[in-house]
Amino acid sequence: MNVDNIQSIVDEDGIIFLTYGGFLTQTLIAGMTEALEKEAEYYDLNMGVSSNIFTIFIELSQNVMNYSKNKIENCKEVKSEGLIVVSKDKDMNYFIHSQNIITKFDREKIEPKLQEIIDSSKDDLKKKYRELRRSGKDSHGKGGGIGFYEIAKRSDSIKYEFKELNDDKYYFHFISKIKTQKED
Amino acid sequence: MENLTIEETKYTPSINLNVERGTVDIIGKSYPENTFEFYEPVMQWLEDYFNGNAQKKTVLNFEIIYFNSSSSKLLFDLFDLLEEMREENLIEINWIYDSENESALEAGEDFKEDFEDLNIHLVSK
Repeated sequence: MNVDNIQSIVDEDGIIFLTYGGFLTQTLIAGMTEALEKEAEYYDLNMGVSSNIFTIFIELSQNVMNYSKNKIENCKEVKSEGLIVVSKDKDMNYFIHSQNIITKFDREKIEPKLQEIIDSSKDDLKKKYRELRRSGKDSHGKGGGIGFYEIAKRSDSIKYEFKELNDDKYYFHFISKIKTQKED
Repeated sequence: MENLTIEETKYTPSINLNVERGTVDIIGKSYPENTFEFYEPVMQWLEDYFNGNAQKKTVLNFEIIYFNSSSSKLLFDLFDLLEEMREENLIEINWIYDSENESALEAGEDFKEDFEDLNIHLVSK
């Protein structure tokens, strides 16, 4: 883990209050979600907003976890760890970051989908989400491909970045921003 | 046919499926590691129940605080099954949400719109 990266997140987004780097398991995700619940309770966050924070956090963490698991099964050489960071700034905007290593093949699959999501309006996202949920009937995929729509629907904005690690591998960094204060 | 009870965990809801009363209660959070495996017995129970074991009226109560996208997918499949059973069975669905939890309300509204033929009540508490 690069400490400079963490530092730049602190500079940009303020306080980091939850960070984990390594192998993700379901028990860890549940424990961290519990910590987020305490945070929401302490700062008296609106229930709808905090549900969005929990869902996005779970979705991103389980993505990283499931991706590692598949890769461990299929090819031993990919390191299966990920990085999850939750931070907030002075205006009480929350940021959920996830980072893991993915293959070039998967980058080419994910990137156009993410770009399409970013270019869509909230209404279009909701429509697409429901279409995908409907059309995915009988599919036994882990999330039916609607995970990033779920995240985008509940975020105020999303960002992503791929950084080349070697010819075939990339760091995939994803950021979701959630506002907790309504603008006047 | 037996009743089915699954205890609540940190990431799965409490589940109570009762043949004699004709009730289904799913209450809590839902983000299992493998959603379709986790809910398999529930889907199986519902199929068996509606296949000759159903009461005159069946009431399903869902009170799910938050859930991951694969649970959302699973719930969709579950409602789909209910829609198939609707013609021969009297089915009532309560989607229960905390009045302050807009996200849970919105999820309920989406299901109501997607399953217009089902009798889904949005119940604020």
